[in-house]
Amino acid sequence: MSKYDVTVIGSGPGGYVAAIRCAQLGMKTAIIEKYDTLGGTCLNVGCIPSKALLDSSEHFHNAETTFKEHGINLSNLKVDIKQMIGRKAEVVKQNVEGIAFLMKKNKIDVHTGVGSFIDKNTIKVTDSKGKATEISTDKVIIATGSKPVELPFAKFDKKRIISSTEALELKEVPKHMIVIGGGVIGLELGSVYKRIGSDVTVIEFLDSLIATMDGTMGKEMKKSMKKLGMDVKLKHKVTKVENKGKEVEVTFENEKGESQTIKGDYCLVSVGRKPYTAGLDLEKAGIKADERGRIPVDNHLKTESDNIYAIGDVVRGAMLAHKAEEEGVFVAETMVGQKPHINYKLIPNVVYTWPEVAGAGFTEEELKEEGRAYKTGSFPYKALGRARASMDTDGLVKVIADKATDEILGIHIIGARAADMIASAVTAMEFRASAEDVSRMSHAHPTYMEAVKEACLTATENRPIHM
Amino acid sequence: MSLQIKVPEVGESITEVTIASWLKKDGDYVEQDEIIAELESDKATFELPAEAAGVLKIIANEEDTVEVGAVICEIDTEAKEGSKSSASSDKKEQVKAEPKKEEKKAEKEESKPSSSGSGSKKTGEVHEMVVPTVGESITEVTISSWLKSDGDYVELDEIIAEVESDKATFELPAEANGILKIIAQEGDTLEIGATICKIEVTEGGAPSAKKEGSADQSESKSSEVTTSGEETYATGHASPAAAKILKEKGIDPSNIKGTGRDGRITKEDAENAEKQQAKAPEAAKQEEKKQETPSAPKGERNQHREKMSSLRKTVARRLVSVKNETAMLTTFNEVDMQPIMEIRKKYKEQFKEKYEVGLGFMSFFTKACTLALKEFPAVNAQIDGNEMVFSDYVDMSIAVSSPKGLVVPVIRNAEKLSFNEVEAEVIRLAKKARDGKLSIDEMTGGTFTITNGGIFGSMLSTPIINAPQSAILGMHNIVERPVAVNGEVKIRPIMYVALSYDHRIIDGKESVSFLVRVKELLEDPTRLLLGI
Repeated sequence: MSKYDVTVIGSGPGGYVAAIRCAQLGMKTAIIEKYDTLGGTCLNVGCIPSKALLDSSEHFHNAETTFKEHGINLSNLKVDIKQMIGRKAEVVKQNVEGIAFLMKKNKIDVHTGVGSFIDKNTIKVTDSKGKATEISTDKVIIATGSKPVELPFAKFDKKRIISSTEALELKEVPKHMIVIGGGVIGLELGSVYKRIGSDVTVIEFLDSLIATMDGTMGKEMKKSMKKLGMDVKLKHKVTKVENKGKEVEVTFENEKGESQTIKGDYCLVSVGRKPYTAGLDLEKAGIKADERGRIPVDNHLKTESDNIYAIGDVVRGAMLAHKAEEEGVFVAETMVGQKPHINYKLIPNVVYTWPEVAGAGFTEEELKEEGRAYKTGSFPYKALGRARASMDTDGLVKVIADKATDEILGIHIIGARAADMIASAVTAMEFRASAEDVSRMSHAHPTYMEAVKEACLTATENRPIHM
Repeated sequence: MSLQIKVPEVGESITEVTIASWLKKDGDYVEQDEIIAELESDKATFELPAEAAGVLKIIANEEDTVEVGAVICEIDTEAKEGSKSSASSDKKEQVKAEPKKEEKKAEKEESKPSSSGSGSKKTGEVHEMVVPTVGESITEVTISSWLKSDGDYVELDEIIAEVESDKATFELPAEANGILKIIAQEGDTLEIGATICKIEVTEGGAPSAKKEGSADQSESKSSEVTTSGEETYATGHASPAAAKILKEKGIDPSNIKGTGRDGRITKEDAENAEKQQAKAPEAAKQEEKKQETPSAPKGERNQHREKMSSLRKTVARRLVSVKNETAMLTTFNEVDMQPIMEIRKKYKEQFKEKYEVGLGFMSFFTKACTLALKEFPAVNAQIDGNEMVFSDYVDMSIAVSSPKGLVVPVIRNAEKLSFNEVEAEVIRLAKKARDGKLSIDEMTGGTFTITNGGIFGSMLSTPIINAPQSAILGMHNIVERPVAVNGEVKIRPIMYVALSYDHRIIDGKESVSFLVRVKELLEDPTRLLLGI
């Protein structure tokens, strides 16, 4: 029986990062993965493939809508969905192979199969052929991630009623895709298919899209999606979804309770994700999942069992790859007696629609609720030379600062390249920069980041230069 | 003075380099350690730092191929910054610090209504002064005293502080004209390159009694909020890396003085936090103890704590490491000092008259040791890695107590010096030691040490080797003792001598014989003359 210092269950961005950090710190490390490829949801059926399709579809969309103005004329423009999906598969392949290489490089043993606890120090790995091996381990990191939430009245049939996983593998451009849930996944995948020619209807129960982000972002997002041609229905409640063979029928009620049924060829259910612990036999390790299926952990991400930690989507907090990565590093370092810290407030939220959306720190709504005195400064992309040059003038940067001290409390960006820009916002807030601090730092011209500086100038003393 | 800069040794087998480019122009003013040129060998490219601050005079041109050791440029270290042409690429922009007469005039003519009699004007530029490189192997210095106070106007090159390293004290001149903002406090220990103070650069000389023009102040006010060292909401905020380090050390960030902007705690602050912190819990413990004491003893029982000076810390560290890393032991002997005392008595006046130095014991001991060292070269040798280094000269270290503690200046080539030259050198070095003016060069490189505990009344002691040397001779007090001379009890002035040595390199036979030889030479000084 193989014996390890630490065994990581799950090889998503939380698990594999934890394993690498453990190996770096000198622990003999194993990682268990159910699927044949490493990388978990993120690399196989999440972040990476969706970005591949988002980029492909955005190129097509630009070719169709803005190239002419750029002075580029095309004829016979059409989507080759087979190629598009094929390229995506190649991107995924390269990434997962990269992880396999990293495991080898760090001398981490990869065990393929479902990991289940026999006791808190013994794990059984059962491969797809049913062959089981046992691993003895000093410590365990559970990083089994999450699965899409199913609606009771709209079970995934993977044909007409699909989750994000199937939406990344479609063989045709849908005529009409009905998206249930106006969160990150629904809007990203909705955008993909809208751009390449599908009609897309998004039905959201709440009164805002991307509801966990700053309110301004939700509003701007709705504008963007409408501009793209999506039918966005807020405050609508889906009551029935039926696979009619070649069609799917979705019935929903508006605010006033009036019912309506629409037809499409695909219904993407993207109403969130739930922690995934199936097959782990947690109880044998003395762990009990909470009522929402999460593994309870303390501040050190330790479970009820002393030698077992859990990270990522399977524990409390935002379900984000980069949150899981931070937790992976955190746990590995904690195990060897270091004292790392994660500032959860500064884990950025990102949506890869176009324009992109990214935010970190407090939202305006949170500060209102807290009763804290704040001031805001916004700057539109429209006023940026850089944005005009690329025709990406939709969007804005919103900076929220403490009214008294000028400390930046939150930065929220919707616009081209917001996802990359948010890192600067995190840096500024990690060092507790004031809005004026950022205003006084040189920002290269012309860049999108100038909007952040200008928004900071606006927040400081309402003195933007270019407005 | 002009300093020649030569092509440094860059590696074995590299005999010549090519000057890839000059980063500074002929006549530019360069700072010490500033990169002035890029050199290329057939193996790598490397940068050439200025070895001193001054005006650059280029000798070898770009693309010239020069041999290792050849002079490639000179730096005129006496030329003032003002004489530089336009080294505007210098990031510190000290050029502006120079009060330019024309500008000053123009300034006056403009006569701003707000300048209210002030002769100076802030340029808005803040010059940051850092701990300069003071010598090899010196990594930190302690601020011994500030000669100027925070907020004082200082002039370029004016001495503003005294700084001490474990080897020497030196003075810190202002690097610009302006208002001094002190950052490091007296007693603070700083690493080379750490910020000591800032100078808010002004133009046009010292301000008159009145403070800065009010307009100036209000103008700069908004920026001061974030740039000055004042306390803000972020003071004491630890950066992510710093926070982790502090947590691991179990140190509360509120006990740390951050050196980052507005007092933020940087990673470096956290890494350095240990020392200061060690104090606090101890102090707290002490307090606790006080409270626990059941019945306070009568009488005053004050204690006070002082920070160890760099010198003290270094001495402490070295002594312990010598004890731990060498196989040290001591051999003793006694010396009948009568013959030397007689010689001194006889020739004291004449000697003094001729050489203007007194004839002391040091010259006898030094000469005796140099002779004995010649005969027992291992005692004069030292271990370097897997090799033993034998010197055919004697650089005699003399332990001298100074107000700051023990220092050990070196008498070079002591074997070649005459009695009067030894005495003169001892006096010169002792005086410098007392004044704290010894340079590092004057304290490094000794091959053997003599220490005299006798001047404080020590009868017998076991001195600790002055690493990396291998032996030390301890002199003691001279006491009249009854001794047997030719079968008769006589009263003679006797000094016990001790030789501590590193048994790794010196065998017992050599060390004992060496000390016996020293004894012979001292008891019969004629031998010194004859070398027998």
